[in-house]
Amino acid sequence: MSRKLVHTPEGVRDIYGDEKERKTVVERLLAEKIHGYGYRDIQTPTFEFFDVFSKEVGTTPSKELYKFFDKEGNTLVLRPDFTPSIARCAAKYFMDENVPIRLSYQGNTFSNTSNLQGKLKEVTQMGAEMIGDASVYADAEMIAMTIEALYHAGLSDFQISIGNLEFFKGICAEAGLDEETELELREFISGKNYFGAEELLERIKAPDRDKEALLKVGDLFGSVDILKEAGRVVTNSRSKDALNRLKTLYQVLCDYGVEKYVSFDLGMLSKYNYYTGIIFKGYTYGVGDAIVKGGRYDNLLEHFGKKAPAIGFVIVVDDLLSAMNRQNTAIAGTEPCTSLYYTKDNFTEKLKEARRMRSEGRHVELLPAEIK
Amino acid sequence: MWNYCLLRSNDGSPAASEWKENMSTERYLTFALGKGRLASKTMELFEKIGITCEEMKDKHSRKLIFVNEEYKLRFFLAKSPDVPTYVEYGAADIGVVGKDTIMEENRRVYEVLDLGYGKCRMCVCGPGSAKDLLKHHEMIRVASKYPNIAKDYFYNKKHQTVDIIKLNGSVELGPIVKLSDVIVDIVETGSTLQENGLEVLEEICPLSARMIVNQVSMQMETERIRKLIHDLKKNL
Repeated sequence: MSRKLVHTPEGVRDIYGDEKERKTVVERLLAEKIHGYGYRDIQTPTFEFFDVFSKEVGTTPSKELYKFFDKEGNTLVLRPDFTPSIARCAAKYFMDENVPIRLSYQGNTFSNTSNLQGKLKEVTQMGAEMIGDASVYADAEMIAMTIEALYHAGLSDFQISIGNLEFFKGICAEAGLDEETELELREFISGKNYFGAEELLERIKAPDRDKEALLKVGDLFGSVDILKEAGRVVTNSRSKDALNRLKTLYQVLCDYGVEKYVSFDLGMLSKYNYYTGIIFKGYTYGVGDAIVKGGRYDNLLEHFGKKAPAIGFVIVVDDLLSAMNRQNTAIAGTEPCTSLYYTKDNFTEKLKEARRMRSEGRHVELLPAEIK
Repeated sequence: MWNYCLLRSNDGSPAASEWKENMSTERYLTFALGKGRLASKTMELFEKIGITCEEMKDKHSRKLIFVNEEYKLRFFLAKSPDVPTYVEYGAADIGVVGKDTIMEENRRVYEVLDLGYGKCRMCVCGPGSAKDLLKHHEMIRVASKYPNIAKDYFYNKKHQTVDIIKLNGSVELGPIVKLSDVIVDIVETGSTLQENGLEVLEEICPLSARMIVNQVSMQMETERIRKLIHDLKKNL
């Protein structure tokens, strides 16, 4: 036997023993909360047609997708995230539905990011999507549910940072920026690269007032007070509406009693193109990236033939677990396993005992006495 | 002093007293500094805003990590290309490193401040005779310590097909021994180039030292980091 056979390719790994148990517990706890809000599980295929995740949908860049062909020569893709699949599903099966649809999912996603050493290429994601409700109550439900789910799983020290893309887009529209410039600027601002943005705006000779506002966007993050400050920066109605939406959202989140976990970041501009309005990310100590990403994607379903607003979030379960490990968070115990030792002579008796204990819901393993 | 400023500027607000109480439980802010001149320049700047680290001044120390207990700060020195890596993964909250490294590594970090020192330029250099090779879209060989920057420049800006050769030092040798037609490298004064009969053919971009911040740290330690940036800005 070759020793080589025991290794896994770079970016994927085995999860077993205590670690897998912890993962199962955390997944169960997260799911409990999500189901508690009336979300029903949905399972979509691991791979789909390339077009579901194409550039027009605005998901992961094509070069980061795992692609292969079927016998007819169609290009297939291992899902890099769930949202486009869920949107496709909703458009297909709930075409004529008018009440909001609540869907939740869990599964592994794949992205081929070879240059980032130390980042897994296969991660477990768990999330929820609400389709057909454009109201601020839907926004609040998503965010409150995220907070409650994380808290229920055992995480206590975390922040959900909320932004609204409309705020930025409002200023861009006012300044009359073309799409290409807007994207470039978006890159700078979401990277909090103030001077990069400044240089770009100098170059395109943006009007002074808009320039000032756009440069301020990257700096507009922090507690709820930042919304007031943001109000002084803009005059256009689109941005004003965006701020009002956030203010109302904050009030509803106060009703949920989760406001202490909430902060705002108007410079948050996701690299996923499909997000349209409210957008949020969850941060905690111990991992270098957001463990929760979510937001509104009111145009995505139209791409699949159903016109409906939608909002959703995803928790990266593996990142959540590594954060909890690094913070030494206790994870609610799993059932301990009792060992019963048997010999040839007392096997029947031991088996009986084991069956009784198992029927009481306890975990029992039978072991031959000679290994004791 | 830095901490003092922090408290004073928040004077009277409930947040300020809360901040004081939290002092003892506060976690360390960790800084990764690119080894060499950049690090000493950075410490000089930090001293101006009241952040000192006496431990670091001992040149013979073999310690890898230096702590300022008073303000709960930790510093370590790393090889420049590793600084963005430490920051991306949150092993360091804040990093100071040259723009060249940030561009080459292309990590997901916030680039928050241009520190203004360590100024130089990223250039395409070579013998004067090579100037002509850059005017057409013909295939040329480029040697560089910065293959990503070189690739980005030639592919996306100049639309020229190039063969990139990664070298790890003394890149100027490339055109001299005919390993490559031109090089992409940092130019400060240009004297090394001149002594070896090379010249700047094209400028790619200006460079300087930058402060980068981990995305999560920015959200979780917003006030501390924002104050730091604010104070540094005033002293540039």
